Amino acid sequence: MLQLKNLHKHYGPSPIFQGVSLRVARGEFVALLGESGVGKSTLLNCIAGLDEADGGQVLIDGVALSGLDDVARARLRRVQLGFVFQAFHVLPHLTVAQNVGLPLRLLNRLDDTRVAQVLDAVGLGELGARLPAQLSGGQLQRVAIARAVVHAPGLILADEPTGNLDPTTADKVMAVLRRQVQEAGAACVLVTHSAAAASAADRVLRLTPLGIEDAAPQPAA
Amino acid sequence: MNFALLRLLVLREWRHHPWRHGAALLAVALGVALAYSVHLINSSALAEFSSAVRTANGEPDLTLSGRLFDDALFERVAADPGVQIASPVLEIDTYARSSDGRRVAVRVLGIDALLAAPLAPALWPQPVAGEDRLVFLDPDAVFLNAAARSALRGAEATADSRPLELQAGAGYTSLRVAGNVAAGGTPVLVMDLAGAQERFAALGKLSRIDLRLVPGTDTQQLIRRLALPAGVTAVAAGVAEQRVSNLSRAYRVNLTVLALVALFVGAFLVFSVVSLSVAQRTPAFALLGVLGLSAQERRRWVLAECALLGAAGSAMGLLLGAALAAAALRLLAGDLGGGYFPGIVPPLQVGVLDTAVFGALGVASALVGGWWPARQAQQLVPAQALKGLGSPESTAPPAWPGATLLALGAAAAFLPPIAGLPLAAYAAVAALLFGGVALIPALVHALLAAAPVGGVLRGALPLLALQRARFQRRTATAAVAGVVASLALSVALTVMVASFRVGVSSWLDAVLPADLYARSAGSSSAADQAWLTPDFVARVAQVPGVTRLEASRLQPLQLSPDRPTVTLISRPLSDPAAQLPLLQAPLPAQAGEVGVFVSEAMVSLYGAAAGSLIDLPLPSGVVPARVRGVWRDYARQFGALVMADSDYQRLSGDLRLNDLALTLAPGTAAATVQQALRALLPDPALLEFASSAQLRQMSLRIFDRSFAVTYYLQVVAIAIGLVGIAASLSAQVLARRKEFGLLSHLGLTRAQVVAVVAGEAAAWVAAGVLMGLLLGLAISLVLVFVVNPQSFHWTMDLVLPWARLLALCAAVMVAGVATAALCARNAAGRQAVMSVKEDW
Repeated sequence: MLQLKNLHKHYGPSPIFQGVSLRVARGEFVALLGESGVGKSTLLNCIAGLDEADGGQVLIDGVALSGLDDVARARLRRVQLGFVFQAFHVLPHLTVAQNVGLPLRLLNRLDDTRVAQVLDAVGLGELGARLPAQLSGGQLQRVAIARAVVHAPGLILADEPTGNLDPTTADKVMAVLRRQVQEAGAACVLVTHSAAAASAADRVLRLTPLGIEDAAPQPAA
Repeated sequence: MNFALLRLLVLREWRHHPWRHGAALLAVALGVALAYSVHLINSSALAEFSSAVRTANGEPDLTLSGRLFDDALFERVAADPGVQIASPVLEIDTYARSSDGRRVAVRVLGIDALLAAPLAPALWPQPVAGEDRLVFLDPDAVFLNAAARSALRGAEATADSRPLELQAGAGYTSLRVAGNVAAGGTPVLVMDLAGAQERFAALGKLSRIDLRLVPGTDTQQLIRRLALPAGVTAVAAGVAEQRVSNLSRAYRVNLTVLALVALFVGAFLVFSVVSLSVAQRTPAFALLGVLGLSAQERRRWVLAECALLGAAGSAMGLLLGAALAAAALRLLAGDLGGGYFPGIVPPLQVGVLDTAVFGALGVASALVGGWWPARQAQQLVPAQALKGLGSPESTAPPAWPGATLLALGAAAAFLPPIAGLPLAAYAAVAALLFGGVALIPALVHALLAAAPVGGVLRGALPLLALQRARFQRRTATAAVAGVVASLALSVALTVMVASFRVGVSSWLDAVLPADLYARSAGSSSAADQAWLTPDFVARVAQVPGVTRLEASRLQPLQLSPDRPTVTLISRPLSDPAAQLPLLQAPLPAQAGEVGVFVSEAMVSLYGAAAGSLIDLPLPSGVVPARVRGVWRDYARQFGALVMADSDYQRLSGDLRLNDLALTLAPGTAAATVQQALRALLPDPALLEFASSAQLRQMSLRIFDRSFAVTYYLQVVAIAIGLVGIAASLSAQVLARRKEFGLLSHLGLTRAQVVAVVAGEAAAWVAAGVLMGLLLGLAISLVLVFVVNPQSFHWTMDLVLPWARLLALCAAVMVAGVATAALCARNAAGRQAVMSVKEDW
């Protein structure tokens, strides 16, 4: 589903990362660890076509991003990608159901049944009419997960999705994310500092300035 | 409030956004400068004019004045035991011929210097070296004030100076310049009373008697005892100055109100800028709230910022205003386009209290502008704001404050003038403006409530736009309010000026039917000394190329001692309906009655409605006249009457004439006729000529100059409105940066993000334009039908210049949408993508 070929990125003269190559298959859950500032989020943005790598290639479902213009990249994101962020990023003026249905609306495929089904799946079936201000952090992150999977994307990118949550809530959220990814049959790249979160992954990698290397799964803290 | 913290945060904010706060500072400064300069110019000119009147009139306890009354009254008055000093004066308005042949308007005061000196020391003749010290008794000697010396360059008082020629009727009389007088103001010439009476055909006549009373004298009893003849009135001290003040009062008040409008729009810019600033600093406010800054303190913080902004803006504005006023006084001579203070070049007079008031107005306008954003800072919930979740505005805003203000505004528009000024109408305009703006939140709420609900709206972009507008109604309201306020003011001013201009233009068509006009005197007050003989007029009628000639006589009439004179025009009047711009059909002439046609001002000021009787103090005595109709006159704000020349000449025996209207044969050159007429005069300068096209052009030029300040205000209002829109939309876009970042992640292109913002802005600006247009039209009705008649006593028809109004609306629309698109373009860039990493 996702293939990175010798990707590298600089900020000015300093390299952020270089020689990053990776393959992630459908249904595969990959955790990416790394120190702060090593470029994990930048790598995710490059994968999503929101940032330009200085060299190398990103292929999503066999399509090279470098060959796409801005509009085509946006369309590809709309269809193929789902995002989960550390800070939730649910829109405060939309209800929970409207937030979850947003990707379907962008694709002109709004399906209230599908929205309700996904909300049920993340345990928020009763809260669709609420505004985000009335939800807890864990609930908000589950809304974000529901939004990431509702349109059945091929690749889900999760950037520190448990960074703002307590360990118990983080475990629950990770379980939901893992389950949804599995059910959707999507590939998932999870960027995290948390060994506990990484332990849910099929494969754990570490991003260093010199590239990606395998990292042995760490025992949960 | 912690001042060290305030200083740190405020200065940092201002340093961070210098242009934005600079614009708000400039808006306050410009508002204060305009209001303050208009006030300074008016008050300086008025003070100087009043001072000139005071020095020329002296400071008598009582003045008996009339139109050339018999000097036998003087003997009686002087003999009264209640009168300590009686000083007889003959006032003659005429022209002096300058060394280069120009005619210069001057006022000749014939006085008994010994009697006048204690009452009006500024009129005491000061002989130049070489003249006898009793030269003031010489009937051929004349003494000039500084303005006269300046206007008549070359007429310096030297022993061998050439004689000074003064117009007396259709010719000139020569006098010898023997010295100076200290009287200020317009050109004044002082001479011996007997000499003036003889030279200006006023033997045995006086214009006024100035009195100093024996202390303890009862003025009313004295007046009764004197049994003043008809046409002579007793005027208490200060009334003459009051009359001068009344002359320009409506014009001054109108200008001041217009200048205060600039302060209002300045307040609006402060509102926009501070709203944006508060929106940007929401996380900082929230963090400080968490750290212990109370809601009250947050409000006070924002208000303190506004007060500082206002104080700095006011200080700049006061300096700029004083400089503007000084420049305007030098360049426009205190006239400001109104023509009320001719010949006066007043020095700038700055009062401490006035300065403090205008400075305080600037600070107050900034505080008013900052009140709403300060409330927003007060009301934010720190925990929610830190998470970026905000708080929805669920309750419907009340419509009653706005509706009540609109109703009050509509009601106030029907009230009569207060103290002769349209104060209630101004209050109506303010109430309509504030009511309209206050109603916007409720209208926005109603508009959003009427929009389809989320489920029905399938597209993501309309849903996002609508839900955000519902969630953050206040931001939408702010953007719309900016458009409404600025456009309403501009529309109202545009309609008022267009109505007035079209009215004046049509009126000029009606009152200038002839090809060529000639006049002997520039004003009705000089018409008694600068006149034409019937014989001369008869010869003019014989000039080749003249097919029709109408001659008229002008007379100033003092109908009320505390009001400026009205003008009596006697002219051929065979068909009043065709010759005058009458408002209704004329009443039929009644046998045995004298009929007159009055201007609208006569109805407002003297109640001289059609059908009523009015007493006219003609030189021959008081004559009752029936008002047969009312005509529109945009030339004489304080009233004019038209009487058939046959009636006037029969009643007064006065055959003198002043103005000529000549209709020329086709193909006749006006210049040739002018030359022929001048050849008939002893001095070619005795007649001033103008074609109807020249008069029309000159009148419209004066009109445009008078209303130049309104064009400036329109530009300022629109500019500030646009800056306000930009600031409001920037605040919205800024608040939505993370939303745009998320939308980019979800697959929206930058162009789509820009399109959604531009689309939203277009919808809001369109709503604002529609409301601003309607509100502006409502305000224009008050300006056209209430403020103008109550200020200047003339009416006009409403003219709606749709092309200009639509162009104005389109300009605001395009500018608003373009501004929004620009803001969105910046906000939807890479920074937006990165902003999803920020905590909300």
